Amino acid sequence: MRLRGSLALVLAVSGAATEMPYFSVLSDDPGAWPDILSSVGFQAKPAGLAHIFVARSGAPGSSEWAARVESGAVLILEGESSLAESFGFRRGKESVRVASLTDVHNPRLPIVLEKGLELPVIQLPDGARVFAKERWTGAPMIAGERRGAGAVLWVAVPPGERGYERFPYLLQALCDLGVEPPFRATGLWAFFDSGYRARVDLDYFARRWRRAGIGALHVAAWHFYDFSEEGDAYLRRLIEACHREGILVYAWLELPHVSEKFWNDHPEWREKTATLQDAKLDWRKLMNLTNRECFAAAADGVRRLLDRFDWDGVNLAELYFESLEGIGNPSRFTPMNGDVRKLFQSGKGFDPLELFGARNDTASKRSFLDFRSELAGRIEEEWLGVLESARSRKPDLDLILTHVDDRFDKGMRDAIGADAGRVLPLLDRHRFTFLIEDPATVWHIGPQRYREIAEAYQTLTKHREKLAIDINIVDRYQNVYPTKQQTGTELFQLVHHAAANFQRVALYFENSLLAPDWRLVPAAGAVVSRIEAVGHKTLVESPNGTGLQWKGPALVDGQAWPAADDETVWLPAGTHSVERAASWTGPRLLYLNGELGVARTVDAKGIEFSYRSAGRAIAVLDRNPRKIQLDGGDFAPMKGAGASVLLPRGQHVVTIGTE
Amino acid sequence: MRGVVLLVACGVAFAQAPDPAYEPLARAYEALKAHDYGAAVANFTKGVELAPGRASIRKDLAYTYLKIGENELAREQFREAMRLEPNDLQVAMEYAFLCYETKEQAQARRIFDRVRQTGNAVAEQAFHNIDDPLAEGINRWKEAIAKGADNFSAHFELATLAERRDELELAAEHYERAWRIAPERRTVLVDLGRTWKSLNRLEDANAALLAASRGGEPRAAEMARELLPDRYPYVSECRRALELDATNVELRRELAYLLLRMDRGAEAEREFWVLTRTAPEDMLSATQLGFLLIARGDAAGAMPLFERVLAGPDEDLANRVRAVLRIPQVLRPRTTESKPVSIDAKVMAERSMKAGYMKDALKYLQVAHEAEPADFAVMLQMGWAYNILHQDGQAVRWFDLARRSTDPKIASEASTAWKNLRNSLQRFRTTVWVFPVFSTRWHDLFSYGQFKTEWRTRFPIHPYVSTRFVGDTRVTIGAVSPQFLSESSFILGVGLTTAPWHGVTAWGEAGSAINYATGHMLPDYRGGVSMARNFGKSLAAESNGVFAASNTDGVFVSRFGNDFLIYQQTRFGYSWGPKLLRAQLYWNLNLTVDDQRQGWANFLELGPGIRFRAAFMPPSMYLMVDSMQGAYLIHGSYPVAHFSDLRVGVWYALTR
Repeated sequence: MRLRGSLALVLAVSGAATEMPYFSVLSDDPGAWPDILSSVGFQAKPAGLAHIFVARSGAPGSSEWAARVESGAVLILEGESSLAESFGFRRGKESVRVASLTDVHNPRLPIVLEKGLELPVIQLPDGARVFAKERWTGAPMIAGERRGAGAVLWVAVPPGERGYERFPYLLQALCDLGVEPPFRATGLWAFFDSGYRARVDLDYFARRWRRAGIGALHVAAWHFYDFSEEGDAYLRRLIEACHREGILVYAWLELPHVSEKFWNDHPEWREKTATLQDAKLDWRKLMNLTNRECFAAAADGVRRLLDRFDWDGVNLAELYFESLEGIGNPSRFTPMNGDVRKLFQSGKGFDPLELFGARNDTASKRSFLDFRSELAGRIEEEWLGVLESARSRKPDLDLILTHVDDRFDKGMRDAIGADAGRVLPLLDRHRFTFLIEDPATVWHIGPQRYREIAEAYQTLTKHREKLAIDINIVDRYQNVYPTKQQTGTELFQLVHHAAANFQRVALYFENSLLAPDWRLVPAAGAVVSRIEAVGHKTLVESPNGTGLQWKGPALVDGQAWPAADDETVWLPAGTHSVERAASWTGPRLLYLNGELGVARTVDAKGIEFSYRSAGRAIAVLDRNPRKIQLDGGDFAPMKGAGASVLLPRGQHVVTIGTE
Repeated sequence: MRGVVLLVACGVAFAQAPDPAYEPLARAYEALKAHDYGAAVANFTKGVELAPGRASIRKDLAYTYLKIGENELAREQFREAMRLEPNDLQVAMEYAFLCYETKEQAQARRIFDRVRQTGNAVAEQAFHNIDDPLAEGINRWKEAIAKGADNFSAHFELATLAERRDELELAAEHYERAWRIAPERRTVLVDLGRTWKSLNRLEDANAALLAASRGGEPRAAEMARELLPDRYPYVSECRRALELDATNVELRRELAYLLLRMDRGAEAEREFWVLTRTAPEDMLSATQLGFLLIARGDAAGAMPLFERVLAGPDEDLANRVRAVLRIPQVLRPRTTESKPVSIDAKVMAERSMKAGYMKDALKYLQVAHEAEPADFAVMLQMGWAYNILHQDGQAVRWFDLARRSTDPKIASEASTAWKNLRNSLQRFRTTVWVFPVFSTRWHDLFSYGQFKTEWRTRFPIHPYVSTRFVGDTRVTIGAVSPQFLSESSFILGVGLTTAPWHGVTAWGEAGSAINYATGHMLPDYRGGVSMARNFGKSLAAESNGVFAASNTDGVFVSRFGNDFLIYQQTRFGYSWGPKLLRAQLYWNLNLTVDDQRQGWANFLELGPGIRFRAAFMPPSMYLMVDSMQGAYLIHGSYPVAHFSDLRVGVWYALTR
């Protein structure tokens, strides 16, 4: 009954707020559609205001829908209904057992349903484009077509309880039909391994990263620990390309893996497992950093690494022991090098190697596991000191500590020695960001887990703005569906919820982000609490600032606003009104890697803006700067940076005169 | 002049063979210069389509893919280029490097190994860069296992490294050991199947893959399906897979249902027994086995299974069992959980039946039944679906199950259908019919009857034995030969009859006619074709309406001088009356002719008639009164030309 009422209301209202990114589910039970659509910035509103409509299975048909779609409405049809039939999506004679799908957005990706379905094969209207089909028979599962100014998207069944159990690329299909997400984020981090990008066009990729909302790249630095002409040249090109596009570059360290050469050159410092084999575990070749000579050599190498390149920061990641299988698997258990064993034996009176033989009582094991966790903490703090000392030469160097979660995954402390409760108080004495690795043990909660994680960690430190979350985009070892790694709607929901609860969101890693996701990741990373049309103005409220999809010149809060590129106007945190302006009147700030304060056009060649940043900031202009003033004083831009300006950390006002 | 012609001809020849890929390639290189990789890829791809045999285009396309980080696509282009130019070592090396980068280490190692045989130092180094760590890793994990690390991780890692190094026997051994330690890791079973397949152990491979394709992880099942033959597995393959993976409940249950569908009930029952022993939590199998047992009268065997289901967690199944046992259902409040699969399947089945898609309907019903094996409504629908699909052997089984429903409506409908079908399907069918009729023309009571037992073979021709009775209350009735009315004999015979086909039956028998008055025995051969057609409301119908019936018999009878007679009897009229007393008022039109043109055998008769059937009568009994006027058709061949006859008779037939 209510469904019919909703449809009647929709059909009665014509043309209201068609530009606003609003959607409405025309059913008492909206299912997962709000989770799906809001993950890329669309907001739920009553049907009379909406632009995107979801008609669930069984929706009654109405001839007026065709006209409404022609005039710009986007209609999502779910399953079988007379409304779907009226648009030509009709039940055929055959039926099909659906256990897996292929999607045009990533045809090679296996999409497997956890629970198979028996579905009728639906005949499509002429001209409809199939986006997803059953893998073995080719029966259509998602299809759609543009109709006039609007579009119709049909999905064979509801998309699942969480919205991503069946159709990962549903939102991409919607975009293919002309629906653009309303907002863009800029501050995502991404881990980067050059091994996967050895022969790419780095300028092309830097542009792509910026478009994907990536503000900082955490580059696997162990590949560049040792000097190599070719390697060093590559990294310099990478850093320059990133800086040109406004992307910061961090050195990502995975100690106690130092480098391949370090391992080969120093077999005497190699870590040992409990089987007394060299600790070459997976790709990491672990060194014994408890050994003072080894530590000194590695620390010296890291200092040289930081000095050789124009890093914007350092990420000290996963500095503890192996493995996730803990003491139960001696062939992967570390540290069992002579130094650690001697150190423990001097205090506790027995060689920890005995734990894998006759001495396997609980108390003895507990004694060693506690010792091991404290040792991991001491090593972490020692290395924080090493990196902080580099700030004497590079004062803008930002520092990140990546740490596995052990609040939800309580076994981590014993398994690998990680103890966030001991590391977090270091924020009182050291300036760094604590990047939490997404705990696999709570992945089953879904994207909502980030609120719980944020709440759990906020009780451990008063420096909430220093907490960041790392989303592992990997082939998961658990039985997860429909895709082994996070992609499409699931990824967007993860990013969206993570961004809503943490100041920073990191993606592990750049190479595992699948091609169809690049377009919508920045939309998922944007956090906007409100968007409204007030007269001819659009009112936007966002806690951290955002990019609003916008074409042409704009006034923000009634003033000419130069912070915009051709598709986006960049808004600072808070509530701001945006309206159309007649023309650009001066240089534009196309992109700012930092928190934008205010921006104004000084004159036809001048621009002024304020910003705040924990590390360096980068401003990208639409023309080359001629003269730069920082807080009223002259500031020398870096040579060869083109229209990009590298700016110091902190809170500053920048005035730029351009050519 | 000849030279000019030659030049022109050459020009034409060259003009006729321009580079078909020239234009897209030119655009591709322009796009590359401008770093417009999207356009470059599109144009190179077009070039590949126009000149598919040219390796250089594939190489350029591959290098473009590398620029934009599409390493797997680049690898595939190099693979194809290598196929086109197998001696191009540079291409082979590029392919090998990309294999390595895209997690196809085994293939990379093979290619480097091949290229290094040519003395290529880079390939030699690359080979060792892959092979040495693999060898080292294999030794390390072997050593770890030798030191007692007999865990999943050790065996699996060793197997993985061994497979990458093409040490397939070693890989298979440790994949199997890893899987035995963690049988829930179904993808390892796929790894094992793949490795066995590479070792050409195809039966073992299929067994592993089939086991992985049923039950457990849907992803492993899909991976296995990719590697399995594209057909439904044989029973023997299922059994082999179960030898490997004996605890695979889903596979065994599927095998059991498969056997049921193949009418191999005893074998199916054995599989269900195994399931109920090895997977006591599998209530579905327990219920199904209980039904099978109870269907063949083994209530004592079924009860422990039903008790298990009743004590189990599945209330729906338990309620179905309660329905069979005719004990009260346990009601429970509706939950907000989504409807079970079978409900959806039932809905889909109903829609399919309404739309006439019976095969679809059957599929849905099977899904619904497997989800809810004691849903009698589903069983009844299965019966009808099979019946409509002319698979009455299956249909009768489902009707038999459905008639046990506690829902009287379902039970009644199923019972009627079961009885009707069972009779038509029994291996031996005995039919008895009698037709005593009094004729005013002859002042005699004639009796006709037959007792026939037919062996209903799988073939369309069925043998039978028969005893006919053709006689009257007086041994003779005067001067007129009564032969065609009363043979005064019991006729014992054996014969063959066809299964009815569109109402047509052919039959033939040989035997002896024993005259019950004289005791004489005569050989008797008879046979013919019979066709019956009925339209409209029959006497058994529940509503009133017109009807028409036509019976045509062509009969050869040796005792009638090897005559061949054709009887055509037609009735049309109206059926009416309540169920208590139904009647048919009709008009008869009968024609009899023969091939020997005998006077008694060629006549036409017509006249009104009425038939009655009362509710208390057995189902196949009725009374009839016909008032006939007749005329012989061969002038002068019979003592009288016309006749009148009032016939009163009773028809009764019984089939068992």
